[in-house]
Amino acid sequence: MSSLTAGLLVEAHGLLAYSDAATAGLWPRAAALLARQALEQGLNDFWQVRAPGVEKGTRRSQMLCLRSYADEQLAEEANHTWTALSRACHHHAYELSPTASELKRWMRSVTDVVDSLETNGGKRRSPA
Amino acid sequence: MEESLQRIVFDRLKADGSLDHDWSLYVIAACNSEAELASALDSSSTHPASTQAPPAMPTSPAGAYLHSVTVQGFRGIGPEATLQLQAGPGFTLVVGRNGSGKSSFADALEVLFTGDSHRWAGRRAQVWKEGWRNLHHPHPAMVEAVLLIEGSGRATATRRWKKEEGVEAGVAEVQAPGKVKQSLDSLGWTEALVTHRPFLSYNELSSMLDEGPGKLYDALSLVLGLEDLVEAQTALSNSRRNRKKAMDAAKKALVPLRARLDQVHDEGGDQRALDCLAATGGRTWDLDALEALTDDDTTAAGEIDWLRRVVVLELPAPARVAEAATGLRRATLEREAATGSGSHRAGTLASLLEGALAYHEHDNVSDCPVCNTPGALDPQWKDRAQDEAARLRVEAASWEQALGAVRGAVRQAKELLVPAPTVLQRAADILAPGAVFEAWQQWRAGITLTAPEELSDHMEKNFEPLHSALETLKLEARTELEARQDRWRPVARDLTQWVKEARSASLGMEHDSSLKTAEDWLKKAGDSIRAQRFEPIGNQAIKLWEHLRQQSNVQLGKIELAGAKTRRHVTLDVTVDGVAGAALGVMSQGELHALALSMFLPRATIAESPFRFVVVDDPVQSMDPARVDGLARAFEEVAQERQVIVFTHDDRLPEAVRRLGIEATTIGVTRRPASVIELRPASDPMTTYLSDARALENDSQLPEDVRRRVIPGFCRSALEAVFTDKVRGRRLAAGAEHAAVEEELALTNTLTELAALALFDDKDRGSDVMSRLNQIGGWAGDTFKQVNKGAHHPYPGSLFRLVTDAEKLCKQIGARK
Repeated sequence: MSSLTAGLLVEAHGLLAYSDAATAGLWPRAAALLARQALEQGLNDFWQVRAPGVEKGTRRSQMLCLRSYADEQLAEEANHTWTALSRACHHHAYELSPTASELKRWMRSVTDVVDSLETNGGKRRSPA
Repeated sequence: MEESLQRIVFDRLKADGSLDHDWSLYVIAACNSEAELASALDSSSTHPASTQAPPAMPTSPAGAYLHSVTVQGFRGIGPEATLQLQAGPGFTLVVGRNGSGKSSFADALEVLFTGDSHRWAGRRAQVWKEGWRNLHHPHPAMVEAVLLIEGSGRATATRRWKKEEGVEAGVAEVQAPGKVKQSLDSLGWTEALVTHRPFLSYNELSSMLDEGPGKLYDALSLVLGLEDLVEAQTALSNSRRNRKKAMDAAKKALVPLRARLDQVHDEGGDQRALDCLAATGGRTWDLDALEALTDDDTTAAGEIDWLRRVVVLELPAPARVAEAATGLRRATLEREAATGSGSHRAGTLASLLEGALAYHEHDNVSDCPVCNTPGALDPQWKDRAQDEAARLRVEAASWEQALGAVRGAVRQAKELLVPAPTVLQRAADILAPGAVFEAWQQWRAGITLTAPEELSDHMEKNFEPLHSALETLKLEARTELEARQDRWRPVARDLTQWVKEARSASLGMEHDSSLKTAEDWLKKAGDSIRAQRFEPIGNQAIKLWEHLRQQSNVQLGKIELAGAKTRRHVTLDVTVDGVAGAALGVMSQGELHALALSMFLPRATIAESPFRFVVVDDPVQSMDPARVDGLARAFEEVAQERQVIVFTHDDRLPEAVRRLGIEATTIGVTRRPASVIELRPASDPMTTYLSDARALENDSQLPEDVRRRVIPGFCRSALEAVFTDKVRGRRLAAGAEHAAVEEELALTNTLTELAALALFDDKDRGSDVMSRLNQIGGWAGDTFKQVNKGAHHPYPGSLFRLVTDAEKLCKQIGARK
């Protein structure tokens, strides 16, 4: 995982963990924004190694391409997590910001996906 | 019974002129207490209760508002968190995701005041009860509400739990500033918390209509405060039922008794049994007769009597009879002896001599007055005559004596010749007294005999056969009598016991018709009072339903409480598409829920309630957006006079409130890890996003890279919010259905599509968005581009500028028609 991706995830975790009046109430969306960027950064890094240029396409295209370059399950998880984070990053009618546990799950997923893309070249690590 | 209610009942009795009837006393007594009714029925003499009217009605209680709620270590809330409220009428929305801890505030409030929660009254009770403490912060656990009570000011109600204590063990107290702590009960809310429950939750509301007609009736009627009326009705009907029960028991107990009487009669023809059967055979019982019949000492009925009289029959004692016969013979002998001595002439001769002596003495003559012999009456004659007269007198006396003795002996003997008693003939059906009767008549026949010898012969001949025959008969009679008594006595004993029961049962039934009149009157009066009291609630419910029904085709005409006891139910005059008589079954879950809310909001907010606040947890769940509008309107209406606090898990209700311009305070709840709860006032999403963006921009603690990556996202969300509101407002105003608008919004995938929909009412005109924005100003198009892109990459330019421009753009778009 690149230091940039890792840094973004650390900051996102920090927003969750530390109570702070300045970020009260806004941290869920802020953390989601950071986590999504972490995932996107991880993907960019992956494309630059495996298929330079893909990173310039829309995220939607990237997600579709990923199925051909990586383990299908992994591609599915990447897509799922990215969609969930995007939803949390946008304003949606009637929806409130995500909960801490949702964010934690997504962030774990980001770590997992980015690590797998980087170390196994898109092959899912065998579960520990 | 509550005095105001007594007063109402009394006035009604008076108004329809019923106070003159004895049954009105029972109504009044029953309204006082069951014991009072019992004593009224016992004495039933004077009318002490009716002479004095109960005091006039009390005024409605002092109302309380919530000023703040502080919770710690309870369910989803870890460290202390305080929900600040405005203590007064108004509408407060507490918005937070499920699991954010918002419902924990609602629950905590309920537990603080009631010591319980609706969540714990169900199948999952145990899970809730065990998991009530916060996992991250199990101790201390505390709930505190600062109240503002009309007339008395501020008071703080607190419930605290010690370590390891169960939820029900918490100690609740209330304290006014500068005063000592008191038990929470001192607020006097115990009853009101049940009747006017100011806590309404989604689960509770939706189950209310499913739990059967009785449950709904109870929940709605509790608020009317008429339980005492029901109690009085119950007292009357219980009293009647108990009386009827006693009577039925007496009737039932009579059946085997009558069978036994039949049997007693069959076995021995016992007249008493027959008489008892007759006394109990009719529609009413002759209990006096029965009592007399079963009293063993006074029974004088038929055969038993005859038997008893036979048993006590007595002849003259044999010794006396023998003595009389002997006396007769002896007297006869003595008389015969006296006859032989001729002494029956001696008296006459003695009298003659005594007369001659007196003549001689008196006139001193000596010639015989009888034969005229001169000088015959000389002194020698005199001496002789005197001796002779004395001798003759003695002789005469013994004759008289013998005669007297015979007479006496005959008389004595005949005294013993008693006539045959008639009982012997009467007893002929039971015994065989013929021989005895004949022997006795034979015995009696001696009365005509004059000759003492014959008489004594008669006695000696006839007494012994009669005597022994009678003794035999008496033995038979005694045996029969005992047999009959052995059969009778147990029945008689049981009958005596039964008569006591029957008498008290009959006495009880004497009040039956009065009691029935009383019961009927009170039932009718109760129904009418109930209807009268329920009317305003029903009307308000219908009014609220008009808000809530929205596009529903279900119309609510009238709500009434009907029936009683096990048949009590709530009548809902439901019309579907103009067709009357439809059942609740045709209503959707959302409609049912809205209907329940329509009915329970008025219950929680009527004047008699001491609570000026009502807490509603998650009312929105299964409602479609149109109904949410109605819900917002309904709360707006209630909030005119009440403090309405609504907890909700998404933005639907707040959105409706904002769009409809309803005055409300919105508080957002978020929960960080470790159950740290954050509460902050929330405005509309656009304003919130922008102020969040500004807060991030100013937070120098945050790494700059993070700020550059995050702030454009917030700005974009602000734009999204303003576009969304624009679309929604325009479409709904044009009469579009909520669902259609939401669907359309959901189909926009990008900010550009959303902007196109908002600006041109067509999401496919994305290519025109930039030029339209550039019409506003170049900065506007730039800002749009920056925030859209910046959500994915760190924004390199001035964050202050970005937020400012975003704010400006949002406001301009929001202001555009």
